[in-house]
Amino acid sequence: MESKLAGIFLLVTLCAASLPGKRTLILVDNWSIRETHSVFFRSLRDLDYELTFKTADDASLALIKYGEFLYDNLILFSPSVEEFGGSIDVSAITNFIDGGGDPMRELATECGVEFDEENSAVIDHLNYDVKDAGKHTLTVADPENLMKAPMIVGDNNKSPFLFRGVGMVSDPENPLVLSLLRASSTAYSYKPNEKIDEFPMAVGTSTLLVAALQARNNARVVFVGSLDFFSDEFFQSSVQKANGGKKFEKSGNEALALNLARWAFKNKGVLRVGKVSHHLQGEKEPPQAYTVMQQVEYSIVIEELVQGQWTPFKADDVQLEFVRIDPFVRTTLTPKAGVFSTSFKLPDVYGVYQFKVDYNRIGYTRLYSATQVSVRPLEHTQYERFILSAYPYYASAFSMMVGVFLLSLVFLHYKEDVKDKKE
Amino acid sequence: MADADLVVRNDIRSAMWNPGGWKSLLSFFILALAWLAGFSARLFAVIRFESIIHEFDPWFNYRATHYMVENGFYNFLNWFDDRAWYPLGRIVGGTVYPGLMVTSGSIHWILNLLHIPIHIRDICVFLAPIFSGMTATSVYLFTKEIWSPGAGLFAACFIAIVPGYISRSVAGSYDNEGIAIFALMFTYYLWIKAVKTGQVFWSICAALSYFYMVSAWGGYVFIINLIPLHVFVLLIMGRYSQRIYTAYSCFYIVGLILSMQIPFVGFQPIRTSEHMAAAGVFALINAYAFLKYIQNFLTKSEFRYFFFAAVTIAAAVVFIAVVGLTWAGYIAPWSGRFYSLWDTGYAKIHIPIIASVSEHQPTTWVSFFFDLHILVCAFPVGAWYCIKNVNDERVFVVLYAIFASYFAGVMVRLMLTLTPVVCVLAAIAFSKTFESYLKDDSPKQNQKNADEKGDNKNDRLYDKVGNKKIRDEKPKDEEGLGINVKSIIVVALLMMLMLFAVHCTWVTSSAYSSPSIVLASYGQGGSRTILDDFREAYYWLRQNTDDKARVMSWWDYGYQIAGMGNRTTLVDNNTWNNSHIALVGKAMSSNESAAYEIMRALDVNYVLVIFGGVIGYSGDDINKFLWMVRIAEGEHPRDIREVDYFTPQGEFRVDAAGSKILLNCLMYKLSYYRFGQMQLDFRSPAGFDRTRGVEIGNKNFELTHVEEAYTTEHWLVRIYKVKDLENRSEIKKPHKPVKKSKRKPKRQTVRKPGVIKHSPKIVKGKKVKSPKTTKTPPKTGGKK
Repeated sequence: MESKLAGIFLLVTLCAASLPGKRTLILVDNWSIRETHSVFFRSLRDLDYELTFKTADDASLALIKYGEFLYDNLILFSPSVEEFGGSIDVSAITNFIDGGGDPMRELATECGVEFDEENSAVIDHLNYDVKDAGKHTLTVADPENLMKAPMIVGDNNKSPFLFRGVGMVSDPENPLVLSLLRASSTAYSYKPNEKIDEFPMAVGTSTLLVAALQARNNARVVFVGSLDFFSDEFFQSSVQKANGGKKFEKSGNEALALNLARWAFKNKGVLRVGKVSHHLQGEKEPPQAYTVMQQVEYSIVIEELVQGQWTPFKADDVQLEFVRIDPFVRTTLTPKAGVFSTSFKLPDVYGVYQFKVDYNRIGYTRLYSATQVSVRPLEHTQYERFILSAYPYYASAFSMMVGVFLLSLVFLHYKEDVKDKKE
Repeated sequence: MADADLVVRNDIRSAMWNPGGWKSLLSFFILALAWLAGFSARLFAVIRFESIIHEFDPWFNYRATHYMVENGFYNFLNWFDDRAWYPLGRIVGGTVYPGLMVTSGSIHWILNLLHIPIHIRDICVFLAPIFSGMTATSVYLFTKEIWSPGAGLFAACFIAIVPGYISRSVAGSYDNEGIAIFALMFTYYLWIKAVKTGQVFWSICAALSYFYMVSAWGGYVFIINLIPLHVFVLLIMGRYSQRIYTAYSCFYIVGLILSMQIPFVGFQPIRTSEHMAAAGVFALINAYAFLKYIQNFLTKSEFRYFFFAAVTIAAAVVFIAVVGLTWAGYIAPWSGRFYSLWDTGYAKIHIPIIASVSEHQPTTWVSFFFDLHILVCAFPVGAWYCIKNVNDERVFVVLYAIFASYFAGVMVRLMLTLTPVVCVLAAIAFSKTFESYLKDDSPKQNQKNADEKGDNKNDRLYDKVGNKKIRDEKPKDEEGLGINVKSIIVVALLMMLMLFAVHCTWVTSSAYSSPSIVLASYGQGGSRTILDDFREAYYWLRQNTDDKARVMSWWDYGYQIAGMGNRTTLVDNNTWNNSHIALVGKAMSSNESAAYEIMRALDVNYVLVIFGGVIGYSGDDINKFLWMVRIAEGEHPRDIREVDYFTPQGEFRVDAAGSKILLNCLMYKLSYYRFGQMQLDFRSPAGFDRTRGVEIGNKNFELTHVEEAYTTEHWLVRIYKVKDLENRSEIKKPHKPVKKSKRKPKRQTVRKPGVIKHSPKIVKGKKVKSPKTTKTPPKTGGKK
């Protein structure tokens, strides 16, 4: 495999279906990849994935048939594809089309990651491997440059990673793209055989070696700029930096590749919202509308997919917001066997509110639940009936009534007297 | 009308000869005819269109009435409407004058008790015409107390058909004013009665009627200021009497307590400046009564000295107390709407939302004639007669005339309060004239009869001076005229009255009988086309959107969306929260992405705009747009500036010369989306706006955050759906160019091989060439 070939690798889960599936399609440039990357594929098979290999120009390619996805996961090991065969459906991946051009780069751009041009490579004149051929394109990436996201990259990465391929940059404004593995600060991305006459696209730690995207519908995509990263050769080779670094017997590639694959195929880090319930304290059913200042109990069931089973999720940082344009209440939910609950007093402001749980943690799918409720003001019978400051008025009202009664008595009798006298 | 006049003449004549039974029969008959005429004149809208609720506010009233009939009064009182003013909600029971709903609700209840099944909508539609008859009756009673029964009948006939009142009370115009004018006139009648008799009974009746008025319309403030003013003027004129003291004290106290029972009014009568005049006069009249009592124990010279000192001190104390309490915050200062009555420029500067309502604009001179016709000319004559023959109650009607004229000049909608007094005074003028010119024999005897009767009944105890004058002057005038001159004048007056009747019918039919939610346009041959776009759009919303969907529109359409579409609205015609409206105005006047943030924050699902450019409907959102900008600027002066929406020359224009900010704001885009592709006729270019008469300036644009959901037949209503956040965000400007692939035409099964770069081409019988020399095949995707 020549280093000038852009080795682009993608792991895609196609749908945000609740239960991640095992059917996996692998598109390759040529069949030899099956052999050169056998370790990776074997590990996937060990995880019960059904692998289907096809060349990227196969005329019978299809992802969707009769409105159903034929595969759940997709691996593109086909950096040189110019035009996909068959009817790889466009909207199914990412509005991603055949026709001329550079589908791999276009696909990446659509997802918020930009690969450097064809024939370019990440070059590092300080951190290259001893086995490098002289262009310093076989770089060594330190585990320190990994993003601290144990859910995605695993938490036991000691050995450095071997990398030979193109670099990427991502839009720093994009909240969905994760920069998983950055190049070292001395690296840059350029065409190794050409003279540098313009500023490289990616320089230093802004050069991404591995990036990931979790879309808003929780579909996951992993981008790696190197096909060799997954090859048997890199998995098994030793690593040593050329300028006298420590020698590691085995590179970290295999562990990282497997972790990335498991994450991208939604083998881990998948959450879902179960039953959401809210009601007044001491009751079971929610009322038509709450009244201000009432005590309300809220609970939400959150489950995590572990080994294909939905199990109660464990965390102590899930928060609930009670929102009417702005949050009026924000409180941490107490977990108990997967049921997160809290009890709070409604604000003294009427309106239409939402119970919102918006739980975003790196590596987990996005958890969002919003329940709309109305909070009404007091009814006319719910106000305090007798208040202390009104007693003078009660007194005056009653004294008035007594006074009128007495006066009318006096008045009647007095009048009779007068009449008598006149007569 | 001419019939009525004849009958009136008959009536007067018969009253002269047989003051017995059939005078009252005739009065009854005339009133019944007036009722019928008034009712029929208001039915144009129902006959031409259908039995439907009109305009904007009536839709809310109807919805509230419907709710009350369905759920009962107490649930209505406690109704918290979570479908209005999202997400603030609205306490309907506490922010509405419930009189209207209760009135039609109780009519419905009684009819159902009598086993007459009728839908509440029909009661709502016909309520205002029915009440117009009751208004006519109470105007008759009022005028009868002020002047004479003959004038009363005239007044009743006038008010029954005068356009100034019909404008608010046609069938389907189910609004507060429809019943409030009845309550207003009836309260005034009872007040006059109370002043005349000095009986507690009448003043309590006046207070009860006042209570009904308070429950029906915010215009009750007019009563609670006019009656104290009447009392105050009487005090100044030295016409204080025990009767006035009794009438006012009872009325004020009972009326105050009753008015505070309406939740919407609440503590306002003791906390706001609008009501302070009444309290001040109450204090003053008590002080005055006390002085009168003191007078019994003092000599005359002592008293005079004491009197002036005391009155001055009392007035000063009252004034200082009110000012001090206002300053300390116990009494709220005048509300903006009230304040703008005195300073007409106030609202325009400080509260654009009040100035933006068309019925709050100052009245044009034309509309006085349009609404009142001949009456507006006769009305000063009546006022002159009242001033000339002044007594306690005529002071009242003069004050009423002066203030109502002023207010009607300031605000178009207050023409409504002026109309009754114009009818009363014009009736007096006509009645007086006819009285003089229709007498053919024994004028003296008649004169005596009429005057003495009036005296005996009403004011035997006072106003001797005025009556003497009448007796002295009248015979002189009449003796100079011959029978022919008299007949000519009578015929001329009758002609004018006939023209008045014709004018009233014409105005009612042409100007005030459109439901405004169904538009009619007339073709060249007189054929009529109905444009039913509003209901089409609201029905679409009702049928095709989620029950909880939230629709953003300008506030004018809030009630209609809630009433006809049954969807949640952000703002509506109950403009109680200016900042919320300003937020919507800001969204409408910002560019699309800024508006998208606001719409996300407010959870908006759909946006509805009214666009009249296709049919030339002038009341559309682009024409209202400057008000949105102004209201938004009031709350967000840093983001929205009115000047940005004008050209450097200060013009508001939507063609290519218009300001860039205007051409890119959300309202513009929503109104004109895809309009640039539409050519209405061959004489005008594509995208020609018929309302503004220009070709629009920004034609080919795409919407990013909203998508068109529905546009009605004549493009009058356009509904857009607010998109969710993008599933992923692409890089809009890559560092290095990315070749875009051609979009493949959508086909289900495409079986064709793809292309892999540098892949060896295998051709039978040839050696495999090296990848370097392989030429990539030409692109084939697009052509197939």
